[in-house]
Amino acid sequence: MMRQENTTFRTFRVMTVILICLMCIIPFYILLVLSLNSPSRIYYEGNIFIPSFDWNNYITAWEKSRIGLAMINSGIITFGTLGLTIVLGGMAGYAIARHNTAYNKIVFSILIGCMMIPGIINTVPLYTLMRRIKAVNTLWGMILVCSALAMPSAVFIYTTFIRALPRELDEAAEVDGCTGFHAFWRIIFPILKPATASFVILNGFGVWNNYAQAVFFLQSRDKQNIPQALSVFFQQFGGAKWHLMASTAVIAIIPVIIIFLIFQRQFIEGLTEGAVKG
Amino acid sequence: MKIRKVNWTQFMSFPAILLYSIFFVYPLLKGIGMSLTDWDGMGTANFVGLSNFERFFQDKRAIGDIRTTLIFAAGSAVFLNLVGLGYALLMERPFHGRSAARVIIYLPAIISPLIMGYIWYFLLQPGRGFLYHAAEQLGTTFFLGKWMNDYPTTMTVLVFVNVWQYAGMTMIIYLAGLKNISTDILEAAIVDGAGSWQRFTRVTLPLLMPAIRINVVTNIIGSLSVFDVIMSLTEGGPGYATESLSIYIMRMCYGSRTGYSTAVAMILFFIILIPVLISLYLTKEKSDA
Repeated sequence: MMRQENTTFRTFRVMTVILICLMCIIPFYILLVLSLNSPSRIYYEGNIFIPSFDWNNYITAWEKSRIGLAMINSGIITFGTLGLTIVLGGMAGYAIARHNTAYNKIVFSILIGCMMIPGIINTVPLYTLMRRIKAVNTLWGMILVCSALAMPSAVFIYTTFIRALPRELDEAAEVDGCTGFHAFWRIIFPILKPATASFVILNGFGVWNNYAQAVFFLQSRDKQNIPQALSVFFQQFGGAKWHLMASTAVIAIIPVIIIFLIFQRQFIEGLTEGAVKG
Repeated sequence: MKIRKVNWTQFMSFPAILLYSIFFVYPLLKGIGMSLTDWDGMGTANFVGLSNFERFFQDKRAIGDIRTTLIFAAGSAVFLNLVGLGYALLMERPFHGRSAARVIIYLPAIISPLIMGYIWYFLLQPGRGFLYHAAEQLGTTFFLGKWMNDYPTTMTVLVFVNVWQYAGMTMIIYLAGLKNISTDILEAAIVDGAGSWQRFTRVTLPLLMPAIRINVVTNIIGSLSVFDVIMSLTEGGPGYATESLSIYIMRMCYGSRTGYSTAVAMILFFIILIPVLISLYLTKEKSDA
């Protein structure tokens, strides 16, 4: 048993936490206020913390910003990237964990060695490559780029996870007539769910929010993802029309917040476990 | 004739490494070659030796960008860890509503840093932001009138926004680290007569090393390659005062100085590599102890 905490100190601690929470929430509240102010509202009249509840901003923002299309694009990119990385990363993790050959050792060291290199280092040469294979301004091109960026993380997570699985599983599958490849799909892949969950937790929002690569590879208006669409939309205004900018920003962050709130328990637990293992 | 059976299962890692090689390793290596040319992205590339690197170090804007990147990263790494650890210590013992507080504090970290930068831009824009008008109603405007004219204040604001956004993330990792420290060891320290400060520096901190390592390294990498939040908050301005190296690389690439921008990327690579290696070395666990 830990020593009993002093009541005064406990109150102080909880009060501080409440203040920190307020500090985290207030910017979002003010964004909401700004998004509901009518265009004609002059800033400093009346109580600035109460908006004028002009819901039309949202309609205008939705129509003009084409954020809906950007959401679909971001969704396709995120699902495509996660799907591709889970399948390829899972296969690679299985091969590396079960066949410790020279070839697999090299594969693993390349991936882990490059894990810490941020994407911006190779974006410019990558851009010339993407232009040559006509992958600029395509969603599949962006999926391939994001998959490459997320691959080390996936392989690392799956390799660690599969190494901890008993080898009897593979052997049982082989007795049943499954060869290595089929054994993986039938027996191993279905039990990788916890590893897949922590991979998605660690990488999902990052792909959805990607901007540093989107700036290069998603310039055409039809292919923009959310951050790219938002920044292009905002730059048109040159600092005017905050009500429209704010309501677009609210629309842009709503899906992320909803998904986070639904999965918050798994999310925080997954991060905690990932940190302990990493 | 006897054919040696090859176990093909070992090559199940091939698709992953193929994709990675094409879209990550190949451009990385190609960048080294490109950095030695004057290529503009269209015509033919001429070998120019190290002159891109010479030009970089003679460019005042580039030197300013290095300074901005380093200040931003140093400030972010230090304060993210101090604030994150402070939050974690406040949140360590259970209290009513702790899990809700954890979710709220983590919330900003899931939002795109670009959008977060815009939100703070609405709040802080010099002389126009929401906080300026709120402060005006109180009769004073603090520094909110024209902070962007002042380099130290601008950098402070950028670091503040970054720390505000990601303190929750470092906190979660520190909480995980704290959870792993067994109470027996702390109890033993109490029995041995260690005060709370001594317990913290002699027991908690050393045992927290794995968490410190993850946080310091990820924060250094993330903040040295900072892009989004500066783009939305200051666009690297006024002028190029708060431009980071990542933004510089993008602008040089758009400016058809492809060869030059890859040279800058190589320089950024080493700017990231050196502190990462140093911090990995400093936080190395002493396994023989």
